[in-house]
Amino acid sequence: MSDVTETMPGPAGPQGATGGWNAVVGYLGGIRDVVVLEMKQRLRSRGWYIMVGIWFFVVAMVTWLTWLAWNASMEARRSTIPPSALAPQDGAGSMIFEVVLAFVLLFALLVAPALSANAINGDRAGGTLAILQITLLTPGQILRGKFCAGWLAALAFLATSAPFLVFGMFQGGLTPGHVVVSLLMLAVELAVVCGIGVGISALAGRPLFSIVVTYLVVAALVVGSLISFALGAQLAQGTVLANTPVGRPLSYVPVQPDQQGQPTEAVQPGYTCEGPLVEHSAVRTDRVAWMLALNPYVVVADAIPYPDRSGSAFYSVGMIEGISQGARSALAGPDHTFTCANGVQQPQYLKQSTPLWPLGLGLQVLLTGLLMWLGWRSLRTPASRLANGTRIA
Amino acid sequence: MSIAESSIVPDSGALGVSAEGVARRFGTVHAVEHIDFHAPVGKVTALIGPNGAGKTTLLLMLASLLRPDSGTIRINGLDPLRDSAAARLQIGWMPDTLGVWESLTAREILVQMARFYRLPKAGIVHRVAGLLELVRLDGLADQPARVLSRGQQQRLSLARALIHDPSVLLLDEPASGLDPGSRVELRTLLRRLAGEGKAVVVSSHVLSELDEIADGAVFVSQGRTVKQQTLEEAALQGRRYAITALDNAALTAKLSELGLEYRVEAGRRPSVTLLLTHDDGAAALLGELVRSGVGVVSFAPAAGALEETYMNLDTERP
Repeated sequence: MSDVTETMPGPAGPQGATGGWNAVVGYLGGIRDVVVLEMKQRLRSRGWYIMVGIWFFVVAMVTWLTWLAWNASMEARRSTIPPSALAPQDGAGSMIFEVVLAFVLLFALLVAPALSANAINGDRAGGTLAILQITLLTPGQILRGKFCAGWLAALAFLATSAPFLVFGMFQGGLTPGHVVVSLLMLAVELAVVCGIGVGISALAGRPLFSIVVTYLVVAALVVGSLISFALGAQLAQGTVLANTPVGRPLSYVPVQPDQQGQPTEAVQPGYTCEGPLVEHSAVRTDRVAWMLALNPYVVVADAIPYPDRSGSAFYSVGMIEGISQGARSALAGPDHTFTCANGVQQPQYLKQSTPLWPLGLGLQVLLTGLLMWLGWRSLRTPASRLANGTRIA
Repeated sequence: MSIAESSIVPDSGALGVSAEGVARRFGTVHAVEHIDFHAPVGKVTALIGPNGAGKTTLLLMLASLLRPDSGTIRINGLDPLRDSAAARLQIGWMPDTLGVWESLTAREILVQMARFYRLPKAGIVHRVAGLLELVRLDGLADQPARVLSRGQQQRLSLARALIHDPSVLLLDEPASGLDPGSRVELRTLLRRLAGEGKAVVVSSHVLSELDEIADGAVFVSQGRTVKQQTLEEAALQGRRYAITALDNAALTAKLSELGLEYRVEAGRRPSVTLLLTHDDGAAALLGELVRSGVGVVSFAPAAGALEETYMNLDTERP
């Protein structure tokens, strides 16, 4: 048996007295070390590369099929409508972009739980979590490190799909801003899902259970938010003060595509509001709009900018814009959407006054934060309580 | 506390590992009901008990991973509940589950651990290389841990526990899965670490091993401390010797003539065992037997000193 030289200096004590800055650097260094450990393991597993490869292939297929479908439909339209009647924003890009974006978000929501929801209890089952806990790492560093590693792995998927969004941009009708904002929002949504997954994985005993629960939470955000909004709207019956719309003859204006970026005078609705204000029953969607806001699709769609079209009479609404407009009118409620509410003419096209996505993202971050906090509590050592059926080591 | 008082100077009584009246339960299961434990510095202390006696739970509490429901724990005078970071710098813990990051190499695992303990960066490479040599994994240092055998992973786990040069070592079944050669090495290493002034705690089932390395032992059963004794004390209580002879009848006749109580054991070879209180008596008896012409084939302790205690505990238990 050989000798190990015992001349090396003892371990540096936990910093803190030397100033707050050192403590912050030390804390972040610990997180980085956990991320390095996690990424080394992930990058060496073949399954991860296979998943990225499949992802790339599927997004490529979706883009290609959308592009083919667009070309086919354009052929059909060119044979019936004169080219001058086509709206200028009708580039192939906006359709490809929207379809790819929707798919990437769908896949992101499917992949992120798998990448994050066994982060803690998988290690617990393998006996490696206690190895981390016994060191100077704090529960916060372990949890944040695991979260960052899961998020980075998910971002790699997003990065492989970015070329297709850029391809959509080059097909016309979009600016780099669209691509940047949507990638940013997709990244944020991935962070939300990864945070939920890591939090649940710290709370649940078994990896399978936590992965399933994370999928259910994601499903609740995507589908459950719509259902609860619809059901909630039925319960949110209220009233709105409005008087009576009286139709007025419209002077005939030939419909022309407006010049791009040059809105003409605001288009007036074809009625005036007259008579006394009376209470009408209405659905107070503004009270339940926050449920809709929890939906990742709403958050992403609402965050992507589009031009103010309140001045134009003729425009085509894409899917993203449609989701955003629908969500914002739900948030505005009957006071702004009911015909002649408060005796005021309500334009059909809602101005982008109050965006919904900050509320939705805030609620999502709140949920993630709560789960991460609960997960952090369960990682504290010396541990007082253990999850059912688990050993600490 | 008898070991501490009898074997080391009173001043350093606070050093080493001590637990007083520690209890811990999981739901309705009392894993540890009441354990008093002391492992002094510079000694190897064995933690002995049957499966499910609470050894691992006690070690987890000593390692600052589990909070005891009641009782106090001190690691070199530090309370791991209040001062966990300082206590953890003193603790090297080797779990009974291996828990290796399978896709990392042995060297990477040790480097990661060194970083988690915030060792100065400059010394890490040197330190890791030294430890790999110490546990004879230098030839496999750059293989992924998953290709290591169980015994090799066990040695890696030991190196991992030593990375920050802790003054207290808590080893849960360190010898399980090791080949005989590695066991001998482990024994030498633990003796050397104790000689350097570390407090070494070893839990094990292999009692004959512990006879060779332990200075003292704490026996636990059903979550309670049953007995604490040093090896000297264990040796003094007398041990059972097994004797085989060419002619078993002649042997038993001679033993009866000497007025000794003996037991005929049922085994592959007929043998006789009897309890002798000290080594002088054993030597005298062997001389007597040989002189009287009994063809003694073997004359040896039937069990190690700690095993003797352990088996007696077993029979005393209700």
